[in-house]
Amino acid sequence: RVLCPLVPSAPAALRALPRPVAVGVLHTTRPLHTSQQSLAPVPPLPEKGGEVRHGLIPEEFFQFLYPKTGVTGPYMLGTGLLLYLLSKEIYVINHETAAAACILTVIIYGIKKFGPQVAAFADKLNEEKMAAAVALKNESIQALQNAIEEEKKEQWRAEGRNYLFDAKRNNIAMLLETNYRERLLMVYNEVKKRLDYQVAMQNLKQQKEQEYMIQWVEKNVVQSITPQQQKESIAKCIMDLKALSKSAHAAV
Amino acid sequence: MAGRKVALKAVDWAAFAERVPPNQRAMFNALKTRNDALTTRLAALPEKPPAIDWAFYKANVAKAGMVDEFQKKFSALKVPEPVDTQTAKIDAQEKEAAKSTAEYIQASKARIAQYEQQLQKLKNMIPFEQMTFEDLSEAFPETKLDKEKYPFWPHKPIADM
Repeated sequence: RVLCPLVPSAPAALRALPRPVAVGVLHTTRPLHTSQQSLAPVPPLPEKGGEVRHGLIPEEFFQFLYPKTGVTGPYMLGTGLLLYLLSKEIYVINHETAAAACILTVIIYGIKKFGPQVAAFADKLNEEKMAAAVALKNESIQALQNAIEEEKKEQWRAEGRNYLFDAKRNNIAMLLETNYRERLLMVYNEVKKRLDYQVAMQNLKQQKEQEYMIQWVEKNVVQSITPQQQKESIAKCIMDLKALSKSAHAAV
Repeated sequence: MAGRKVALKAVDWAAFAERVPPNQRAMFNALKTRNDALTTRLAALPEKPPAIDWAFYKANVAKAGMVDEFQKKFSALKVPEPVDTQTAKIDAQEKEAAKSTAEYIQASKARIAQYEQQLQKLKNMIPFEQMTFEDLSEAFPETKLDKEKYPFWPHKPIADM
């Protein structure tokens, strides 16, 4: 149903009118809100206008006359109308007619020749605008999705904080244990050092005593060798050497 | 003085490294090197020092009574374990971190909800070819022309054209 305002028929009826309803007036023949889903979006307007023949006369006129007069009907009508206008001089041919004929010729020639190019150019402009808008929209969508991904990733990262504290506590525990072990080791080392020192001291003393004794004995022995004994021992040595050299000669 | 069994929790360094954000890498590396250094130091130390061979010393040290005295004092000595002062702080830090993380995650979820909403709006938009300028102003309020502030066409400062 097309909504229209209430039409007041007489001035007296104006007082009887109900208050104006806050509903818009729609001058359109498109079917709006007729079906069950009255809140559905309005269908889009058609892209192109209605069909026309010869650039002027809508196709509906030809279809309207077709059942009665066939294909040539509208043309016969047009021709007859034109001849009537000319012969009865309802339309008078004067200088304006010549001007109109020239102008119309040029206009029609121009449109037919350059029309498609201009249309393509205008369409391209529109396409560029649309493409820019669509690209913007897609970029926004992409950016939002990326942002959502990033947020989820950051949440996942934040869950890893336990590792940090575990590692820190491990560090502390290791430090403490290391310290404790070092202390134990230090005690052991110190005690061992002292005991070893005692043992080493004793050994050293013993060794020194031995060496001194050996030296003293040697010194005394050397002192006690008298010159007589020295001569005897040297003579014996020479005899031994002679015997040895004899046996060596024999061997050679 | 038996060595204590050290309660070390195994830390999965690979998983940990994955979760470190790039701007905190340096701190993570520092932590890891410190941990590794401590681990090697700990591994180098024996758990218990070797036992002292008292019989040998008793046989060889001439001073009487010295070894016995040492042995007595040695077994009586108790090395104090170092006191742990920092774990409490770490626990406190951990609690605080848990709280701030929960807050951050809340805020993050709110942000995600916002983004989702905008995403839905963009996805359910009518195609540009079927829009009028009014529809465009509805979908993107920033393109709406302020007809009160600039009552004459083009309804925005010339510099913005």
